[in-house]
Amino acid sequence: MHPKRNGGPSVQTPEIFWGVILWMTVWGVLGSVLLRRRYFSRDLDTSNVNFAGAMAGAALGPIGVAVLWARTPKLSGRITTFLGLTAVVLIAAAFSFADPENNCVANGAFRASQFTNGLIIGIIYGFMALGLTLIFSILGVVSFAHGEFYMIGGMLVYYITVVWFPGVNPLLGVMGACCLAFCIGALFERAMLTPMYTGKIDRPVEYGILATFGLAFTLQYFVQALHGASPVKVQRYIDFPRWEFPAGAESPLIETRRGNLTLFDTVSISNPRFIAAVTCILVLLALLYLLHRTWTGKALRAVSQDREAAAIAGIDPNRMNMLAFALGGMIAALAGALLVQAFSWLPQVGAIPAMRSFVIVVLGGLGSLPGAFIGGILVGLVEAAGTGCIPDAQKAASYIPAYGMIVLTLTLLLRPTGLFGRRFASGAHGQGG
Amino acid sequence: MARIPHIAGLLLIAFFLAFPLVYTGANYDYVMHVLITGFFYAILASSWSMLAGYAGQFSFGHMAFMGIGAYGTALFCHYFYITEAPTGICTEFGFFGNWLVIKNAIGVTSTTLTQDCLQQAIDGWGDTVRVWRMPVLLGIILGTLAGGLAGLLVGLLVLRLRAAYLALFTLGFSEIIKAIISAEIDITRGQAGLVLPPLYGEGLNLFGLQFGQTDKIPPYYTMFALLLACLAILTWLSRSRFGLFVRALREDADAAAALGVNTTRYKVIVFTITTAMAAAAGAVQAHYVQIVTPNMLFLLQMSLVVAMAVIGGVENFVAAALGAIFLQIMLELLRTSFSIGGIEVDMTVWRLVFFGVLLMLVLRFARNGLLAPLIDRFARIGVAEETIAKRKARQEAQS
Repeated sequence: MHPKRNGGPSVQTPEIFWGVILWMTVWGVLGSVLLRRRYFSRDLDTSNVNFAGAMAGAALGPIGVAVLWARTPKLSGRITTFLGLTAVVLIAAAFSFADPENNCVANGAFRASQFTNGLIIGIIYGFMALGLTLIFSILGVVSFAHGEFYMIGGMLVYYITVVWFPGVNPLLGVMGACCLAFCIGALFERAMLTPMYTGKIDRPVEYGILATFGLAFTLQYFVQALHGASPVKVQRYIDFPRWEFPAGAESPLIETRRGNLTLFDTVSISNPRFIAAVTCILVLLALLYLLHRTWTGKALRAVSQDREAAAIAGIDPNRMNMLAFALGGMIAALAGALLVQAFSWLPQVGAIPAMRSFVIVVLGGLGSLPGAFIGGILVGLVEAAGTGCIPDAQKAASYIPAYGMIVLTLTLLLRPTGLFGRRFASGAHGQGG
Repeated sequence: MARIPHIAGLLLIAFFLAFPLVYTGANYDYVMHVLITGFFYAILASSWSMLAGYAGQFSFGHMAFMGIGAYGTALFCHYFYITEAPTGICTEFGFFGNWLVIKNAIGVTSTTLTQDCLQQAIDGWGDTVRVWRMPVLLGIILGTLAGGLAGLLVGLLVLRLRAAYLALFTLGFSEIIKAIISAEIDITRGQAGLVLPPLYGEGLNLFGLQFGQTDKIPPYYTMFALLLACLAILTWLSRSRFGLFVRALREDADAAAALGVNTTRYKVIVFTITTAMAAAAGAVQAHYVQIVTPNMLFLLQMSLVVAMAVIGGVENFVAAALGAIFLQIMLELLRTSFSIGGIEVDMTVWRLVFFGVLLMLVLRFARNGLLAPLIDRFARIGVAEETIAKRKARQEAQS
């Protein structure tokens, strides 16, 4: 499954790299199995030990496993994080030894630019995943229509600004797309998901999965039937002014051209992505304000924590369900509406972002809002590293979904609750905590 | 009266058995093709409904396992040959006096090589050395095993977790399988696809009748037999103690675990069996259409299987299979585009919208599907009267 291939065009001594990977895997597996057994036999909490053991084995080999074994009951998050980072550094070092002429080893500017762009796109991914995790934390349903909301967001912006009202301000287009997506989400929730809450259905989780899957299928082919299969693209919304800081310098720290932003004369960020990331951060702040400072937001969080208690306190959980589903769909649509200026758009465009959001919410912990955001940035960085470092560029691009899947597989193997998930890991099912 | 479903089932089987022999209408090959594809989807839908309806495990990767089966047999038949003499240029091993030759992967865009090593060797030999393909049946079996093995590994990874994780992971898994097949052009030939030998290479001679390679009757009966075999296995599974365990863990996994059912193990077993069925269907279908491409793994196919199972009745695999055949026929009937008032309605896409809406409506208002309640209804005819009669008899005996 691993995308790298032995004897690729430019890898010189792949044996080093694969040797290190093999060594780390063997000790990681041993560490996780041994430590889990030890913790289990001593009746200790085993929820973190898999991950810690694997990281200790991977990072420091037998020494790490032995140290953790010796100081058994003491396991702190800091040690685990440190070990995990060491393991990542080790992989990077092995890669740079194995392939010293690779662009992402030899070229510092390329590395910086990959990192920045990974971070920027990661923010957008994280924002989109936030919608999914919001829906999950309140309804207990993983929305399989998330990618389709993303798709209609972009499509609506195209139709509003290009087809229906040519020349209209793109901001209005984005807002219109968000409103429509919000309405579709609310309508769908009212029409399809309400039977889940009343206990009429034996297995609400499965029903939710099927219902949202049906919505995804319908939406995708509805758009394809109306629009056809031709790709569309929208002009970028805002041009940067021509600006330099400090002005007139030989190599300015920040330099903007209409479609581009250059940092330190090396890192180039394209305008649409930058605008999208900034908007995402702004909307995220607004969302945090909504969740923590307004009555509605507090009610939402209350419902996600304890449904019955919230109902006793006078909050109508049904309305919160509708609001959460509509908001989640709107967030995905907004992500799509912002990215339609960067990528070309098709009715099938939602599949990969949806999958990426699934990876992110599992990595961050199902139902955890900060987890989704941090998970998004991590996945953005992993994808940037993958596309930048794999020797065969064409293959590196076709394997974009695979990087996320590797992350997902590792998460499920080592720490199924994700980075921040505890309460929701076993699945709150829409009713009860 | 309660026997009506059984009688209807037998009649239906007899109908499908006799159909290709008595059908004399137009488009014979096309009608047969629609039915063969219908049987193919019926296998997928019924095994998926065993997984989703009986065990409560929602997998969106059923098509990926089907693809593993199809590509398993395709790669096997494409790369492995047996020859009488060593080629000297391929990877080869001695094999009971002959040679097992593994062709080199040249892909479709190779500029240095226009022929694989076996073809070069054959050109050198002329007609002096015999070359055999691998038997199709062996390929199908290997594809099935590969699909089952992949199912086992995925199941071991994900099935210890709750339902949502399986759905999430399998959706990603099918994307990955598609990405690998599309990207590894050297081996899988990417979008160009791999060409497979037909199910019955030299045609078939049965009961004095000669069937050619393109005749539809042999693949029709093969696929139908596979469908019946799968349904038989599923019926046997669901009636056994094993089926009861599986249903128990669907209703309440915690309670089942508390009663001593090793829930993860049973889920993994069900998952492996159903994925192997999907792989078998894929392998046979691949030999029937004689080409495999990554397009068979589009999410659309998975959505169709889900729609078929749900519309038929997700908790009853016979209903799911019937739903699949029914929907496949409907899909073909709705293919013709038409125009209303000058607006061209492209039915190839609108029919999918129609099925999406139908799927949601069925989910919302008829949760057991459209066919399953019908079967249940007939199965229950007379049960109530029987129970009342029994109770009366008991009361009379007591008084």
